[in-house]
Amino acid sequence: MPKFNRRDFLMASSAAASTAFGSTPGLAYSQIVGGGAPFNDYRALVCVFLFGGNDSFNMLVPRSNAEYNVYAQSRQNLAIDQQDLLAINPLTSDGVQYGLHPSMSSLQSLFEQGSAAFITNVGPLVEPTSKDQYFNRSVALPPQLFSHNDQQDQWLSLKGSATSKTGWAGRMADLIRINVANQQMATNASLFGSNLFQSADETIAYVMGPTGPLQFEGFSQDPASILFEQRNAFTRVVDAEYPSIYERGFAEIQRRAIDAADTVTAAIESAPTLETVFPMSQLATQLSTVARLIAVRDRLQMQRQIFFVAAGGFDSHDNQNQDQPGLLADISESIAAFYRATDELGVADSVTTFTQSDFGRTLTSNGDGTDHAWGGNQLVLGDGVRGRDIYGTYPLLQIGGNDDVGGGRMIPTTSADQLAATLAKWFGIPDIDLDIVAPNIDKFAQRDLGFMA
Amino acid sequence: MKTIKLIGIVASLVFGLVACSGGSGGSSQPPPPPPPPDPITKAEAFQFLNQTTFGATRAEAQRVMDLGFEAWIDDQLGRPASLQLPYLQSLPRPQFLFELQPDRVDVWFKNALHGGDQLRQRVAFALSEIMVVSQLGVLGDLTYSLADYYDVLARNAFGNFRDLIERVTLHPAMGMYLSMLGNEKPNPVLNIRPDENYARELMQLFSIGLVELNLDGTQKLDAQNQPIPTYDQSTIEGFAHVFTGWTFAGAANFRQAFPNDANQVIPMQLYPTFHDGGSKALLGGVVIPAGQTGDQDLADALDNIFDHANVGPFIAIRLIQRLVTSNPSPGYVARVARVFNNNGSGVRGDLGAVVKAILLDVEARPDLRIDIDGKIKEPLLRLTQLWKAYDATSASGRYPINFAFVVFGQGPLQSPSVFNFFSPFYAPPGEIRNGGFVAPELAIATEYQNTFVTNYVFYQTFVWNQANAANLQPDEVYIDFAEEMQVASDIDALINMVDDKLLAGQMSETLRTEITGMLERTSETDAALRAAETIYLVVTSPEFAFQR
Repeated sequence: MPKFNRRDFLMASSAAASTAFGSTPGLAYSQIVGGGAPFNDYRALVCVFLFGGNDSFNMLVPRSNAEYNVYAQSRQNLAIDQQDLLAINPLTSDGVQYGLHPSMSSLQSLFEQGSAAFITNVGPLVEPTSKDQYFNRSVALPPQLFSHNDQQDQWLSLKGSATSKTGWAGRMADLIRINVANQQMATNASLFGSNLFQSADETIAYVMGPTGPLQFEGFSQDPASILFEQRNAFTRVVDAEYPSIYERGFAEIQRRAIDAADTVTAAIESAPTLETVFPMSQLATQLSTVARLIAVRDRLQMQRQIFFVAAGGFDSHDNQNQDQPGLLADISESIAAFYRATDELGVADSVTTFTQSDFGRTLTSNGDGTDHAWGGNQLVLGDGVRGRDIYGTYPLLQIGGNDDVGGGRMIPTTSADQLAATLAKWFGIPDIDLDIVAPNIDKFAQRDLGFMA
Repeated sequence: MKTIKLIGIVASLVFGLVACSGGSGGSSQPPPPPPPPDPITKAEAFQFLNQTTFGATRAEAQRVMDLGFEAWIDDQLGRPASLQLPYLQSLPRPQFLFELQPDRVDVWFKNALHGGDQLRQRVAFALSEIMVVSQLGVLGDLTYSLADYYDVLARNAFGNFRDLIERVTLHPAMGMYLSMLGNEKPNPVLNIRPDENYARELMQLFSIGLVELNLDGTQKLDAQNQPIPTYDQSTIEGFAHVFTGWTFAGAANFRQAFPNDANQVIPMQLYPTFHDGGSKALLGGVVIPAGQTGDQDLADALDNIFDHANVGPFIAIRLIQRLVTSNPSPGYVARVARVFNNNGSGVRGDLGAVVKAILLDVEARPDLRIDIDGKIKEPLLRLTQLWKAYDATSASGRYPINFAFVVFGQGPLQSPSVFNFFSPFYAPPGEIRNGGFVAPELAIATEYQNTFVTNYVFYQTFVWNQANAANLQPDEVYIDFAEEMQVASDIDALINMVDDKLLAGQMSETLRTEITGMLERTSETDAALRAAETIYLVVTSPEFAFQR
C-alpha cells in the first residue's frame, strides 16, 4: 500500500478548501512603487477602528428643520434634540445644515478649523448599489451583510466576495516594501492585537501593546549577566527547526518579539515628553503611544507607517442613550489630543487619522438600542485633509425611503474602497496600483474622493 | 505496534471470510481471540491528557495507561460537575458583586487544577469559548450569574445539545449579554422592532454558522460555486420576534427589571404581554403560526435550529479545534458529525457521545507526525499544565488571577466580545495561511501577548516558587520544584525530570543542549536557580506551546 498521509489527501482534494476554511493564492505584484526608491518624506496613516458598529447617524446629524424632522421621525426615542446639536459649517453645502453629537465639541473645533472632514454614508460595496438592485440581487453584494465579523473583514480587507486573506494596509505595505527597506520597524504596527487590516502576503505587521512593546524581563543586554546568556539560549531555541507548522508559527512570533523589543523599546524611551495631555481612555492611551512612536520616526528610519488602534463598546443593542455620549466623547477627545500631539511634533500634515467601524446602525430602535445596519459616517483628520467638509452624499434618513433596505439600514452611497483609495494615493501608492489596495475601485467613477490635499 | 494491530485486523477478516465461506459446512472453529490492544505509551497518555484535561501529569498518565482511553473517558463521563456558584455563595456577600470576580476566577482555577471531572471542565471551557458571555461588559457586576452560567455549561457538557441551547438561551447572563432580556414585541408607531442581537449570534456563533455545510464541514456550493447562506435578514427578524417577552424571573416590571441575587441564577421568565404574537419565519422555510405562546414559539425555534443539518459539523469542528487539532480532516469532522446526528441509539445531539468520538478517533492519536496535526495550546492551558505538574498553590490557597485576560490574552469568561478570544478561522500569515490552514490560538499569540506570557513564566519560575515562598504575598501562586532541587547537582537528571513532567520525555535535542549550556553556567549548589532555569526554558519553548 502506498504511503499516503492526510496531508497528501488534503493537497489532492478537489475542493480547494479541503479543510473547512478555504484558500486563495497570494497576490502577485508586478509593480515596484517608484522603482523602489526611498520616499523623500514621512507619512503615516492611523486607523481608529470602532468595534461593534458606531451609530454614526447620531454623530453627524442634519440640523435643518425639514431634514431634522425626517431624522427625528425615524429615530424616535434615540434622536438627539435639535437644539443640542453642535453646529458645523462645511465649506461646500448640499443645502442642508449639519451638526455634531453634543458630546463632540473638540471634534467640532477641529472641523471648523479645517483639520477634520467627514465621509458620509460610506460602507462596503462591490459596485454601486441602488435599493432596487439590492432587492433584485442584480448587483454583487458584500457577503453576510449585517454580521459583525464579516463586515469588519469587509472594511479591513476590501475584498468584496473574495475570501479575505489580506488587508488593505497589508497590501499597501507589500507594495512599498522595497522603498522602505531601511525601516527599523515594520510599516504596519498594531496597538490592538493581530488584525486583518495589516495582514499581508510579503510583510508582517508588528503587534505591540497599548503602551508600546514589552521588554523581556529575563533578558539582559549586558554580556556580563547570566540573563544575556539566557537571551541567547532562548533565541537559539526559537530559531531551531520544528516539525509542526504550529511550532514554526509560534517560533516566528517569538523571533519578531525578540528582534523588536530592544530597538523599538529603546527608541520609544528616547522620545521627548510631549506637552499634549491625553485623556484617560484605552483609545487615548494607544494614540499617545502612536504619537511617541512618530516622535522617534527618524531614529527608526521610518518613512511610511500605518498604525492600527481601536476602541470597543459600540455595539449598542441596549442602553444606547446612556452609553453613546461617553463613546463619542472618547473619540472626540482622544483624536483631538492626538491631533494636538502631531501638531506639537510638527507632523500634523504628514499624519492622517481616519475611522472605520463594522457598520452603521438601524435608524429604528429595538426599544433602547439599535441593531446592525450598513452605511455610516466616518471621520478623517489631519492637516493633509481638505477639512471642514462633508464628502459623499448624505442619505435620506427615512424609513422605507430610497436609501433604506429595511428598518433604517442605509445603503452606502460611497464605497469603503473609495475611502481607502483616496488615502492610499496620499500615502504614495501610484494610481495604477490602487486596484491592488482597493480591488473594487474600478467599479466606481470617482477613484479619489478629493478629501486629501 | 500499529503494524501488528493492522495485521491482526487483516488476519481476523481473512479468517472471518474463510469461516463464512465454509459456513454451510457447519464449521465449529471458534473465532480467533481479538488482538490485545496496543499498550498506551507515556507520550500517547500525555497527548491524550493534554486534550482532555487542564494538563497532563505523570500520575494521571499512569491511570490512562492502566485503564485505556475509552475506560478513562467513560469514568469521566459519569463524574458530577465541580461547580462555581455554591462556592461563591458560601463567601460573605460583598456590597458589590464585582468584588467576587477574583473569587470566581479562583474557583475556576481550583476546578481546573483539582476537579475530578477534568474532561467535563475542559469541555465546559471549550463551550464557554463557543457560547460566549463575558465579565467584561454588562456582566461585570453579575458575578453569581456568570458563575451559574459556567455551571450550566459544566452540567450540560455531556448532555444533549438541544437542552444546552435552551438553558443558554434562557440564562439571564446570556439574556443580558446579548440583550434578549427585556426584548419586546414591535411598536410600529415608535419605529420599535425586536432586538436582533441574540437571534443573530445564536445562529452565527453557537449553532449553525453563516453558510451551509456538508456533513464533513466543507462548504456547500451553489451552481455558481458560491457558498450558500444559511439565513437572511428575514430569518433574523423571525427569530428576533420569537425572543421577545423574557426578563428576570419574578421582576415586578418588565421594562425596569433589575436582577437580584436570586433571579440572576435562574432562567428568565416569559411576560406574555411583551411577547409578539404574530407568525415568524424560521430556517428552511419553516413558519411558526401566529397566536402561539412565547414558550411554544421558543421551543419551536430552538427545535428548528437544532434540526438544521449544519449543527453536527459546526459543533464537531469547534470542539475538535478546542480539544485536539486546528485543522481536522473532512473525514474526521464527518465521523464526529455523524455521531452528533445519531449517537448509535437514535439520539441526536448527545454531546457526551460527540466528545468520546472526538477523542477516540484515529486522528486524535496520529501515529505519524504530520505537520498539521495538533494545535497551539491556549495560553491559559499552558499555565494550568505547568501548575498541575508542579502542584501550584498559594499561602492563602487561592488562585485569584483576575487579570488573566491581560497577561494571557484570555481568562475564564473574560472574552472581549461574543466572538471569543480568537476566531476559529484565524490564519496567521506565512505557511499556515498559504497552505489553507488555520491556527486560531495564534491570533492571541502576538509579539506583545507572548512576551507578557514569557515574562509571567519568568516570575513564576524564578520568583514564585516554593523555595521563595516565605517572601511571597498570600495570594501569589507558586510552583513546587523541591524534587528538582534534590537532583539539581546532576544536570542530566534535572533536565530528565522536567522533561518527564512537562514533555513526556520527548524534549528536542536543541532544547536539551541549550538548557544544559545554561545550567553549566550556574553553580551546582544553586539548586533553585537551576530548577527555575530549566522549567523556564521548557515552558517558554515552542515545543511546550505545541499540543501534539
